[in-house]
Amino acid sequence: MLGFSTKTVSNVLFWVTRKKWLILAFLLSLSFFYFPSPDGLSYAGHRTLIIVLVTLILIISESIPLPAVAILILIMQVILGIASADEVASSFMSDAVFFIMGSLMLAVAIVSQGLDKRLALIVINFTGNKTWRISSGFIFISAILSSFIGEHTVGAMMLPVALALIRNTGLSTKKATNLSTLLLFSIAYGCSIGSIGTPSGGGRNVIMIGYLAEFGMAHISYLDWMKYTYPLLLLEIPFAALILWHTFTPTQKLMDSAVRKLKVKVAKNGKLTSDQILAIIIFFITFLGWVFLSPYIGLGIVALCGVFLYLSFGLIDWQQINKNTNWAVILLFGAAISLGIQMKETGAALWIADQTLYYLQIVFKDLSVVRWFTSVVITGLLTNLLSNAATVAVLGPIVLDMGGDPITIGIMTSIASAFSYLTVVASPTCMIIHSTGLINSSDYLKAGWKLFVVSILLLLLVSKFYWPMIS
Amino acid sequence: MKILIAISSKEYSGPTLDVGMNIARALNASTTILDVGEKINEMSTKDISITNELMDTWNIDRPGIEVLEWAYHYLVKNSFIDDDSEEEVFKNKIVKESTSNRTEVFLKGASIEKLSLILRNGDIVTELRDEVRTYDYGLTIIGGSSKRSLAHDFIQYIESSILIVNSFNLDKNYRILLAVDDSPGTANAVKYGIRVAQAFKIKVDLINISKDGHLKEGYNNAINRAKKMLRRCSIDTEVLLKIGDPVENIINTAGDDHIIIMGASTQSPLAKFFVGSKPLGVIEKSTCPVLIVK
Repeated sequence: MLGFSTKTVSNVLFWVTRKKWLILAFLLSLSFFYFPSPDGLSYAGHRTLIIVLVTLILIISESIPLPAVAILILIMQVILGIASADEVASSFMSDAVFFIMGSLMLAVAIVSQGLDKRLALIVINFTGNKTWRISSGFIFISAILSSFIGEHTVGAMMLPVALALIRNTGLSTKKATNLSTLLLFSIAYGCSIGSIGTPSGGGRNVIMIGYLAEFGMAHISYLDWMKYTYPLLLLEIPFAALILWHTFTPTQKLMDSAVRKLKVKVAKNGKLTSDQILAIIIFFITFLGWVFLSPYIGLGIVALCGVFLYLSFGLIDWQQINKNTNWAVILLFGAAISLGIQMKETGAALWIADQTLYYLQIVFKDLSVVRWFTSVVITGLLTNLLSNAATVAVLGPIVLDMGGDPITIGIMTSIASAFSYLTVVASPTCMIIHSTGLINSSDYLKAGWKLFVVSILLLLLVSKFYWPMIS
Repeated sequence: MKILIAISSKEYSGPTLDVGMNIARALNASTTILDVGEKINEMSTKDISITNELMDTWNIDRPGIEVLEWAYHYLVKNSFIDDDSEEEVFKNKIVKESTSNRTEVFLKGASIEKLSLILRNGDIVTELRDEVRTYDYGLTIIGGSSKRSLAHDFIQYIESSILIVNSFNLDKNYRILLAVDDSPGTANAVKYGIRVAQAFKIKVDLINISKDGHLKEGYNNAINRAKKMLRRCSIDTEVLLKIGDPVENIINTAGDDHIIIMGASTQSPLAKFFVGSKPLGVIEKSTCPVLIVK
C-alpha cells in the first residue's frame, strides 16, 4: 500500500490505536488555536488554556509517559510564545518542587531503614486484638504519621503489616475478604485523611502555600497550617472508622492469634539499631526545621537538608535514592506549577474564575456558595481523576482568583484534594492497596462516596464555625 | 523455537496451559509462562516498587506470583514437568527485575530447564507485543477473549504465530482442521499442522473452500502438496471440499472437537482493522483452539 510494507502499516496502526488520546489532544489543541479568543481572555491566556487542556487529557489517558507530558508543557509554553525559555526555566523550579523532590527522597530513605517491623509492633501494642480496634488503629496511626511523613511513605510501610496480619489469620492474602478490604482501606483512607494535617503531609499543600506566596496573597507557616487543618483531621478519623466498619464488616471480630504471631515474628528483630535511632533523630530534626525554620528558608530546603543528612551519615546510598525516586512526578509537578503560574500571569486563571462564578451564580445565587462549591466539590471530584497534586497545581490559580479570603479558599482546596477516596488513581496509597490484587476498582466507591460526603460536610462545618475563631 | 504462554488467572488458564505445554513438549521448545497484571499508574510506579521491596522482607508474595506458582504446580500435577524438589536450587523465591515492568520469578525448588516464569504489568497487547519482539518467540499461546477488538489486536500486532485457546478439554478426542488455500501462509500452516498432529497423535482434516464451487488451480496444487507432506509423516488425512462462505464452513466443520490451523490473512492491516479477516471471523465465532500461522 503506497509502497509501504505490511509491517510498516501494521506498526503505524498499532501506534495510532495506542496513542489515540495523544492524537485527539493534538487535533483539539490545533482547532482551539485557530479559534478566536473569547471576550476578556488575552491572546496569551487563550494559548495557556490550550496547554492546560492538552495536559489534562494526557495525564488522565496516560497515553504518553508522564515525563513526556512535563516536557511538552515546557516546550509549548515557549513555542506558543507565552513565556521565554528563561522565564519557563525559572518558574519550573521553585521551593515547592524542591519540597516534592526532597520528600520523595526522604520517603526512600525512611522506608529503607527497616522501621516497618518496629511500626508493626507499635500498631498492635496500641490496638490490641479486637478487629474494630485494629482497623480504627490503622486509620489513626496512618493518619497521624502521614500528616508528617507523607502518605506514600506510610502506605508503603503499613501495607506489609496489614498483609502479615491477614496471612496470620489463616486467610489467603490472595483472595479478597471483608477483613482484607477493611484493613487495606483503613490504611489508604487513613493516609488520605492524614495528608491534610501539615504542609509536609503532601506535595499539594506546599504547592498551595507556594502559590499564595508567589501571588503575594499570604504567607502561611507550618504551625498556622496545622491550626487550620489538624482539628478536621482528628474529626474525620472516627467517621472513617465507622463508615469502613459498617461497609466491610468482617466475620472475624477478634484477631487474637494473628496478633500474637505477628508479635513473635517482630520480636525476632531485636532492639532498634543505632542506624535506626539515627534515622529517627534525623527525621525529627527535619520536622523541627519545618516548624521553626521553614518561614525563613522554605519547606523545600528543609526537606533537602534532611536528605543531605541521610546521605552524609551513610544511612542511604545514592543509588537507592536514584532508583526509587519517581523523577517523573518531580518533572511533572515542576511543569504543572510553571503552567499554573502562567495561568495566573496571562489572566487565564482569572478568566476561568470569572466564567465559573458567572455561570454557577445562576445556579447558586450566593457568591460564597459558588466559591465553596468550586474549591471543595470540583476539586474533590477532579482529584479522584487526576491525582491530588496535579489537581491543586491546575486548579489553585483559578480558585485563588475567585475573590474571598485567599487563605480560606487555598486551604479548603488543598484539603478537598485529599478527598481521594473514589478511584484507584486518586492517591498513591489507593494505588498501593490496589496493587495487592485484593481490592477491586468498584470497592473504592462502596465506602468512598460516604466518606466523600461526610468529609465535605465536616469541612463545611469546620470552615464555617472554627476557622473564623482562629483567623 | 521459543514458545510464550500468556495466562491471566487460575480460573481460565488451565486449557491454555494444557495445549501450550503439549505443543512445547512436541517441539522440544523452551517455554515462557507470562502473567500480565494490571497497569500501574505512572505516578505510583515507584511507590509500588518500594512497597514490593518491603513485602519481600516480610516474605509476602508480590501480586501475580501466585498465578505463576499455581501454573507451575499445575504443570507438575499434570506431569508436563518433573518436580525436582529434592534438589533445591533456589532456597527461596527470587524475583529479578529486568526492566521496570518485567520481572523474572524463580520459584523455590523449581529449576526446570527451558521454563521461565515472567511477570509484567500494563496493557496486555502492548506487553505481549514487546515481549515477543524483544525475546523473539515463534509462537504465542493465549486464552480466548470475548472482545472482538482484543482478538484483532492479538493477531494483528503480535509478530509471532498465535494460538488462541477458546476452550480445550484434555479428555476429548480432537482432530486438526487445516485450512488450505493458495496463500503464501498455507505452507507454514501445513508444517505447524504436522507438528501439532504429531504432538497430540491425532488425525488431520484438510479443508478447502471454494466460494462458487469452482476450484482454482493454485488451490488444487496446495491441497496436493499438503496431502503429500502429511502422508510422508504418516499422518491420517481426510480432504474436505466445501462450497460457500469460508468462515461459516470452517466453524461448522470444526464443531467443538477440532484444533483449527490456518495461515495469517494477507490483507492489508487497514482492511483487517476496519473490515476484519477470515482468521478473525473464525476466532470470534468458534469454540475450538485456533492457531494462526505467520
